[in-house]
Amino acid sequence: MGITGSALVNPFDRGIQATGEDSLGGPVRLPGGFAMPVQIERILGFGRSFSFWPLLFGLACCAIEMMALGGSRFDMSRFGMEAMRASPRQADGMIVAGWCSTKMAPRVVRLYEQIPDPKWVLAMGSCAISGNIWDTYGVVQGVDSLIPVDVYVPGCPPRPEALWQGLEMIRDRIKQSRHAYDGLRRIPARDALTGGTGEA
Amino acid sequence: MISLEAIKERLEGQFGSRLLDRADFRDEVTYAVAPGDWMEVLSFCRDDPQMAFDQLDCLVGDHLPERAAAPFQVVAHLVSHTHGQRLRIKTALAEDPTLPTVTNLWPSAGFDEREAWEMLGIAFEGHPDLRRLLTTEDFEGYPLRKDFPLRGTIGGRIRTELKGKI
Repeated sequence: MGITGSALVNPFDRGIQATGEDSLGGPVRLPGGFAMPVQIERILGFGRSFSFWPLLFGLACCAIEMMALGGSRFDMSRFGMEAMRASPRQADGMIVAGWCSTKMAPRVVRLYEQIPDPKWVLAMGSCAISGNIWDTYGVVQGVDSLIPVDVYVPGCPPRPEALWQGLEMIRDRIKQSRHAYDGLRRIPARDALTGGTGEA
Repeated sequence: MISLEAIKERLEGQFGSRLLDRADFRDEVTYAVAPGDWMEVLSFCRDDPQMAFDQLDCLVGDHLPERAAAPFQVVAHLVSHTHGQRLRIKTALAEDPTLPTVTNLWPSAGFDEREAWEMLGIAFEGHPDLRRLLTTEDFEGYPLRKDFPLRGTIGGRIRTELKGKI
């Protein structure tokens, strides 16, 4: 069941919380009865991990550090991540860089939902993780109340090296076909939208 | 080019005792007027050739709860590109504050008045589009008032009915 509401089965979404390499055992069933061997899945994951294209999406000051990582000094293009796509349809995930206001929250959810599966989310900075000191009327207290988050990178703002490490952790998860939405199946905002049925 | 002294003279000669207060600080001047004179004074500042304040730099609201009789104030920061001068006009407002809009003088006042209305509850009569600017449209309360809670997601919520809204 993909977030897009398509009838196709997402081959990577098996409804279990993957805990490590061992959980990858067994073939993945595709529509039509075709079973994809786990080795193919691993090869796909290996390939994906070298071309993780994040969404070009910065919310606040953390985005400056994200730009620094994209620039020549830290140069994340070494790892195939330099192509930050302006369209969520072309992205593999998003870096939520900065605090998210309640007014921005539905846009963040919408952008997340527009990214095709499989997708990974990195919450960058204290504000995206918990709201930081802004426990106020306008700030979402952590984007994980909106969307499933794979990796948290703390800091205010995190240095580019810290974000780099977070992206390396994302690459590990890509290689292992682990996603934050594994076993979660539902995201809170979507449940609120659909009345808990999970169907749009 | 006209000096600030001449501008002060001109304004005080025109309105006299209707200017309630004057504060001089670092070669800039601020006048206080009654809310009833707000429109007239600002129109004069813009239209008189010796004043010619052609730009509304910004228009802000304040909440001063220690002033029990008039806890709100609105300040208009004016700039004259003709004379290279700046001027501030402010007015004190009682509870449930209302003020005529100045969007007909400076269209840029539209955003400033929307924000002052949204954050402090100062209603601008005659504003063409008085909608919420920075908070969600069902937000309750005026977050920049001093009695608004500092912590907690009070007043607003995360909107989830997304379809057709964004």
